[in-house]
Amino acid sequence: MTPQPALRAGLAPRVPAKTGATLVALGIAAFLLLFLVLPVGTVIYVAFTDGAGGLTLSHFASFFSLTLMRESFIGSLSVALASVAAASAIALPLAYLTVRFEFRGAVLIQTLGVLPLIMPPFVGAVAMQMIFGKSGAINLLLGDHFDLNIPFMEGLPGVVLVETLHYFPFILLNLVAALANIDGAMEEAAQNLGSTGFRLFRRIVFPLAMPGYIAGASLVFVKVFDDLGTPLVLNVTNMLAPQAYLRITSVGLEDPIGYVISVLMIAFSLFAMWLSALALKGRDYSTLQRGGAALARRRLNWWEAVLAYGWIGLVLLLTLSPHIGLLLLSFAKVWSFSPLPDAYTLEHYATIFSEAPAMMGNTLLYCGLAAAIDVALGVAIAYLMIRVKLRAARALDFAASASLAIPGLVLAIGYLRAFKGVEIGGYAFTGSWLLIMLAYAVRRLPYALRACVAALQQMHASMEEAAANLGATRARTLQRVVIPLMAGGILAGFVTSFITAAVELSATILLTTSQGQAPMSYGIYLYMQSIAGRGPGAALAIIAVLVVAAGTYASNRFIRSRSATREMPR
Amino acid sequence: MNPFTMRKIAVEARNIAVSYDGGKTRVLHDINLDIHPGEFFALLGPSGSGKSTLLRLIAGFVPAQGGELLVGGEDVSRVPAHLRYIGMVFQSYALWPHMTVAQNVAFGLVERKVARHIIDKKVEAMLDLVGLSGYGNRRPNQLSGGQQQRVALARTLVIEPRVLLLDEPLSNLDAKLRVQMRQELKRLQNTLGITTIFVTHDQEEALTTCDRIAVMDGGVIQQVGAPEELYSRPVNRFVANFVGSINLLPANVLASDASGSEVECALFGRFRLADQLAVSAGEIAVRPLAMHLAPPGTPARPDDIVISARIESREFMGEFVRYELKAGDRPLTVDQSHRTHTALFESGSEVRVAVSPAEFRFLAD
Repeated sequence: MTPQPALRAGLAPRVPAKTGATLVALGIAAFLLLFLVLPVGTVIYVAFTDGAGGLTLSHFASFFSLTLMRESFIGSLSVALASVAAASAIALPLAYLTVRFEFRGAVLIQTLGVLPLIMPPFVGAVAMQMIFGKSGAINLLLGDHFDLNIPFMEGLPGVVLVETLHYFPFILLNLVAALANIDGAMEEAAQNLGSTGFRLFRRIVFPLAMPGYIAGASLVFVKVFDDLGTPLVLNVTNMLAPQAYLRITSVGLEDPIGYVISVLMIAFSLFAMWLSALALKGRDYSTLQRGGAALARRRLNWWEAVLAYGWIGLVLLLTLSPHIGLLLLSFAKVWSFSPLPDAYTLEHYATIFSEAPAMMGNTLLYCGLAAAIDVALGVAIAYLMIRVKLRAARALDFAASASLAIPGLVLAIGYLRAFKGVEIGGYAFTGSWLLIMLAYAVRRLPYALRACVAALQQMHASMEEAAANLGATRARTLQRVVIPLMAGGILAGFVTSFITAAVELSATILLTTSQGQAPMSYGIYLYMQSIAGRGPGAALAIIAVLVVAAGTYASNRFIRSRSATREMPR
Repeated sequence: MNPFTMRKIAVEARNIAVSYDGGKTRVLHDINLDIHPGEFFALLGPSGSGKSTLLRLIAGFVPAQGGELLVGGEDVSRVPAHLRYIGMVFQSYALWPHMTVAQNVAFGLVERKVARHIIDKKVEAMLDLVGLSGYGNRRPNQLSGGQQQRVALARTLVIEPRVLLLDEPLSNLDAKLRVQMRQELKRLQNTLGITTIFVTHDQEEALTTCDRIAVMDGGVIQQVGAPEELYSRPVNRFVANFVGSINLLPANVLASDASGSEVECALFGRFRLADQLAVSAGEIAVRPLAMHLAPPGTPARPDDIVISARIESREFMGEFVRYELKAGDRPLTVDQSHRTHTALFESGSEVRVAVSPAEFRFLAD
């Protein structure tokens, strides 16, 4: 009797399936090579070669011989480090409060963890200028009453303020997750051996939460170091990202300095990620066992409650200030040299609904396509890696995840250079909206991939084996069992990719060649360039924020309904 | 030889009570215990019986809402956990992954600001005592479960605590290792002479390791006694059921005075018990292994009660065979120890059951 095909597939699943799997893997590899490895490789190649193609360090030498470049280098580094420090100062007490005390503020803190992330930092920067800027609300009030003017938003400190308020949730979320995973017995054992109070926190609790802190802090460092929009909007140019942008757009695509900066940015991203991987190596400190209790919580006494709510209130107010500022700006008829707008209007919304629907359509098209590519690649790589156990899939996973280390600006420069002269149907490829969409897809792929991997790992292989056992082929099993069960994770990955791409600026700003192909993020930036455009810009930004907020909420719902355990940084 | 000085200290609980939700959920009720100096004492009970809460209360992690906890004669109920000097080994071991084995063991001494050279010496001696010398520089996650358990013990014992608390210390080990570790625990406790309180839900663990056992259920201590006492003289149905298997048969007391009692039960008829009984009805408890099976008509000893029954089913357990019997329509469980050439009774066959009334225990509840 010949065994039925399904049975044979169940007994030796790898043999017949490998050919198809290998073809799929090759397709993914080609995509990644063309749109990630080639452009990034081009950038690195240009930075290290002279005009004749010989290896040289002269571009780096000339970079460091320029005073402005040295200053920008120091500037970017100090802004990134200062933002990490300031974000830690905000996040540490909040994280400690949530895991240590029983109080209602925990909900507020969770809100705090999401609010800043729904607004891109360059949008927040404009709104914060209306409040903290030289002639913003706070300084006007200070000037009236105390004859004071504090330059909150000027120069590098201004960038630090915006970035800190935007990115501290990364540290907060990671730290809370790490603290919540500590087994309460870890702390009790220390008490039992005579330790207590701050000493116990310093010797036991904080070291155990350290991996989470480092993961969050390195993420903040990378994000701040790579951010282009915020310094551009604040008109701060003595930093690396704006310098690279300015060199490429004003001097031209041939100027090697832009490539040197790109290489430096990649190097620092990799360095920060390597540092965090090193700190995390072999230290899975999530010691909470099944059925174990977390850290003991206690009630706040009155002065602790005053301090806690005071701190939360202050941070909440600061965190909300860009949102409030943006909202006011979008309704303000005139808002200049007064703490609050003088008159309100709906006309900015009317303006953008007549001028900007094309932009919204573009965002929907680019981000939708990019997110669809991301989840397709994410599902395929996750399945090849976890279920088919194709060895090459690990390499694909690594390559796809590596795009986290590539700043959008660098990828865009790479695209412009690598595809220079390539024409599709008579049109320059570098001038086409396809490149914007592809940049989004490549940059957001790690998020979708992680969501898919997590969804697949949570699903027991016996689900598929049961289908195979009942006669389903591998393709049918994938279609009828695997993908429906992964749906929550896939959806979460799609939404995350979509909303983060929707507010991407650094690649967009370089790759957008005409008004007609501009997505919303670029539109907001354009409007914000002129005083008259601020109102419509703010209205457009409010719409973007609402979309992102709705998406974030939906994505959290999908993830929660699948009971995924880890926080996904975005 | 043993550089650690452990004093033998008594632990006494007086009317201890704990409840949650403002008294609605009673976790511990009127706990009274006298644990003797140097004793190896077990708290035995099913999950939710309050045994772990009692242990954590002794360690200072759960506040008592009433009563006194005396350690070495002084009330420690209001002493915070970190000042009690009562060592506890956690069920999960709670070894800190960011410290080496030696750093873990040294922790309590460092907290007490002991001089560095003394710490080093003590840590080494303690690792030696638990059989882990040379492991000081490893990380906890590089050790096996059994070794982690020893580190946890070493970390607790090195501070020379007044009392040692063990929270289900063997539950994370596999069956073979569990037997080995429990013998080692007993040896270590013997060497050090430290008063030890051991929480477990496994009756075999408690019976084999401990000098005395308190059986707990529903936050109440049901019975305190030596292992053989709990086994042969359980005071109530719960203890009888929890410590070993048992048959419980409804019974009536016909007459009782100082010389003994006349009892009747449907299955075994009338017989005399040596105790005076104050109630008129209750249950007869008899261990499955106390009864003897033989083919019908086999003569029994003169004082034995003999009944006939039919084998319903049997389970082969290795050391013994468990038979489920029906005597009339009443079920009865009988265990027979098994040797290589013992013939087994088949299902459906008739047998003679013989038992001495001395094996009967009357339970009033």
